[in-house]
Amino acid sequence: MPVANEELKTKIESDFKDKIQSVAVSAQKEVILTVKPEQYLSVCKELRDNSYYNFQHLSCLTAVDYPKENKITVVLHFWSYKTCTQLTLKLDVDRAQPKAPTVENIWKAANWFEREVFDLYGVVFEGHSDLRRIMMPEDYTKFPLRKDFTDDGFIVKPN
Amino acid sequence: MTDLLLSQIKVSGESQFGTDEYVVNLGPQHPATHGVLRLIVKLDGETVKETIPVLGYLHRSIEKICENRTYPQGITYTDRVDYVSAMSVNLAWALAAERLMGLEAPARANWLRMIFVELQRLASHLLWMGAFAGDIGALTPFLYGLRERERILDLFEMTCGQRLTYNYIRIGGVMIDILPEFVPKCRAFLDYFEPKIDEYEGLLTYNPIFLQRTKGVGVITPEMGINNGVCGPSLRGSGISCDVRKQQPYLYYDQVKFKECLETDGDCWSRYKVRMNELRESVSIIRQCLDRLEPGPIETKLPPVLKGPLGGEIYSRIESSRGEMGIYLVGDGTPKPYKSKFRCASFSNTYVLDQLTRGWKVADIMAVLGSLDMIVPEVDR
Amino acid sequence: MFTGENIVQTVVGLLHSLYGMVGLSSFQGILDPIVAAVVMFHFIAVFVMFLVWMERKVSAHMQSRIGPNRVGVFGLLQTLADAIKLTIKEDVKPVKRDKIPYYIAPIIAFVATFMGMVVIPFDKGMVVQDLNIGLLYIIAITSFTVIAILTAGWSSNNKFALLGGFRSAAQIVSYEVPLVLSLVPIIMITGKLSLGAIVAYQQQQGYWFVIPQAIAFLIFITSATAEANRAPFDIPEAESELIGGFHTEYSGVKFAMFFLGEYIAVVVSSAVASTVFLGGWLPFPFMGFLHLPGFVWFMAKLLLVIYLIMAFRWTFPRLRVDQLMDFGWKVLIPISIINILVTGFWILLVAKGA
Repeated sequence: MPVANEELKTKIESDFKDKIQSVAVSAQKEVILTVKPEQYLSVCKELRDNSYYNFQHLSCLTAVDYPKENKITVVLHFWSYKTCTQLTLKLDVDRAQPKAPTVENIWKAANWFEREVFDLYGVVFEGHSDLRRIMMPEDYTKFPLRKDFTDDGFIVKPN
Repeated sequence: MTDLLLSQIKVSGESQFGTDEYVVNLGPQHPATHGVLRLIVKLDGETVKETIPVLGYLHRSIEKICENRTYPQGITYTDRVDYVSAMSVNLAWALAAERLMGLEAPARANWLRMIFVELQRLASHLLWMGAFAGDIGALTPFLYGLRERERILDLFEMTCGQRLTYNYIRIGGVMIDILPEFVPKCRAFLDYFEPKIDEYEGLLTYNPIFLQRTKGVGVITPEMGINNGVCGPSLRGSGISCDVRKQQPYLYYDQVKFKECLETDGDCWSRYKVRMNELRESVSIIRQCLDRLEPGPIETKLPPVLKGPLGGEIYSRIESSRGEMGIYLVGDGTPKPYKSKFRCASFSNTYVLDQLTRGWKVADIMAVLGSLDMIVPEVDR
Repeated sequence: MFTGENIVQTVVGLLHSLYGMVGLSSFQGILDPIVAAVVMFHFIAVFVMFLVWMERKVSAHMQSRIGPNRVGVFGLLQTLADAIKLTIKEDVKPVKRDKIPYYIAPIIAFVATFMGMVVIPFDKGMVVQDLNIGLLYIIAITSFTVIAILTAGWSSNNKFALLGGFRSAAQIVSYEVPLVLSLVPIIMITGKLSLGAIVAYQQQQGYWFVIPQAIAFLIFITSATAEANRAPFDIPEAESELIGGFHTEYSGVKFAMFFLGEYIAVVVSSAVASTVFLGGWLPFPFMGFLHLPGFVWFMAKLLLVIYLIMAFRWTFPRLRVDQLMDFGWKVLIPISIINILVTGFWILLVAKGA
């Protein structure tokens, strides 16, 4: 039932030829797909709706901060209940003004995941219905999970 | 604080603050057992119009901390991610690190891991049963669940000295081998426990009041469930086969026989029934593992310093007691992970609470919240 | 023989000679009921303390725990310790409360339920005052608790207490109807309202009313638990997660009076059930040869019914508010009305015809 990694990789290469930057099978035996920013939404929609891929389940949406390469990578992990296959999708966004389209309309599960990425990394998801902080207090100004985060001696003021 | 409240409500896009509605705070301090979850509930008389969970009261930045700890040190933090089901999270991290670095634990270690994770599933479901029944109003099953859980915790204490935060499953194997009296005691416990499941089901499952409170309440349709990221027993109550142990078998789950427990209705009662059936399946799995336990090493030979490969990354999923637990690790050639992310079942399951309770009564919020088996440390990390 | 009647006669005789000594013989008619009421009050106070201990022990053993066992032998003095703690507690009052209703509400709750004990016969002649409208009196007096709850909810100046009070009042008022309707067949059969007369009728018949009127007994017990706001009908109490219920803003002795009132309501309802359905002070079937005084049988039956009500609390989950109202109006009332009709037919065709 699971689609073999090589087979998945070749199918993705042939289906999304110029919409993706790269697709590879990693040393840890995962298929990792890096997509071009403009084609992000269309690739995601195709991955969910196409009956071969059938990636109905968005397992995780997170981000990794690479300050040396001046980018934040949004990472999505999909799982298909029908074919029992896993896929990783990556999107690079600029670190100075991190913006990405939202996939909330494709997988509603992304709602809180994207809020968490916004809260902890500062990536603004355009089109999100309710983009506000989820873990930190509403009036917090910093983005904790970035690599250059310092907490400046967090002092709680008595009220 | 009230300004924050109002601004939150306006931003959420719902209708304006009407004269008939009032907003109630199911505050972070709860008589119910779910921990520090805050729910802002907009009510119209008895009927719920919107439920807004406010998270972050238990946010301990575990993911950031793990970036500053080595891979073996990270296991102590995984215990705290889900303290009711700590063995599962230990296992998730250990498996993720092993897959990242290309290590393989020996056979005996894997069988032991399976035994302890399934015992942990029993313990977690027993606590859930007590909390769920207590939310509905039956206060007695809580005591019964805890009584059985005590015996399981005794087994854990015998092995690793801890009752709650074990730090037992390590990268490459387990911490220490079981004592000789573990196997007979475990078998004795299973023989004692299996008829008790029927006893507790007899108390609750077909009780007319319990049925009235849970049947038809909080229905998760299959499409809505998958799209919203619901996972674990909550999704199996709607009939979707989503058990990671069956779909992406890890350890030796493909070598033991067990059924995936599915129900079709998707309401609170179905989710309750799924978990009660999972108790029976776990008992069967543990018995099979005990039969197949062979003497052998419990840990592989590890390099002196465990380093994640440069450019390597892994997303590893297991089936914890609450659902799918995924750990995403990014290695950078150093002994510490560059990035760690815990994908916890309770986080996604709590998201659907709002959709499930609109139009229902206040008492149904507690019933639905209990049936989703959410644990706040998983939500906030 | 050692019967309740003899005891009562002896004590009353002693009392009258006491009046004679002090010179108050002419006030006998007034003083007798007053002394009886005072004795009943003391008895109830001690009995309720025992009941609180019993509830804690029953619940503990049902939950595989032990319950209080430190304060006194078997923990019997635990309630006394709790009562002392409640009396010396700080009296926290909301600032904007409505002063006079705030103080009156717990008093009404306590007094109204206690007044119901006046007509309960512990034995033949061992009753404070055997009114010939006994049942009617009890039903009327226990309805006063609704006033107490609404007053408490209103005067607390707390939105949530008010709503909890409304809900509780709605529950009590709706379960009054099946309570009364389940007693109507008994009144139809015996033709009397006095509790002593009902017990005498059962003695004369040779069997207790629970046998022909088992349905009425069950409906009565269910309505009685709802009247006392006990599980599975304890939505007003258990809503302390969300809404405090009418007693949120009460602390110390006033809070104690509300809970005393609840326990006394349980005692009154159980006493009525034991008297009307289970034969009151009559001995258990086939145990009459023991020749025990009547009040021993009565206390045994009373404790049995109270134990049943306590067991309900720790076994069943609680009903949601709308399900509770549905159950009262759509299930209990039709069944009790059908019961009345069937009893009526039986009286007409069988009893009179024979």
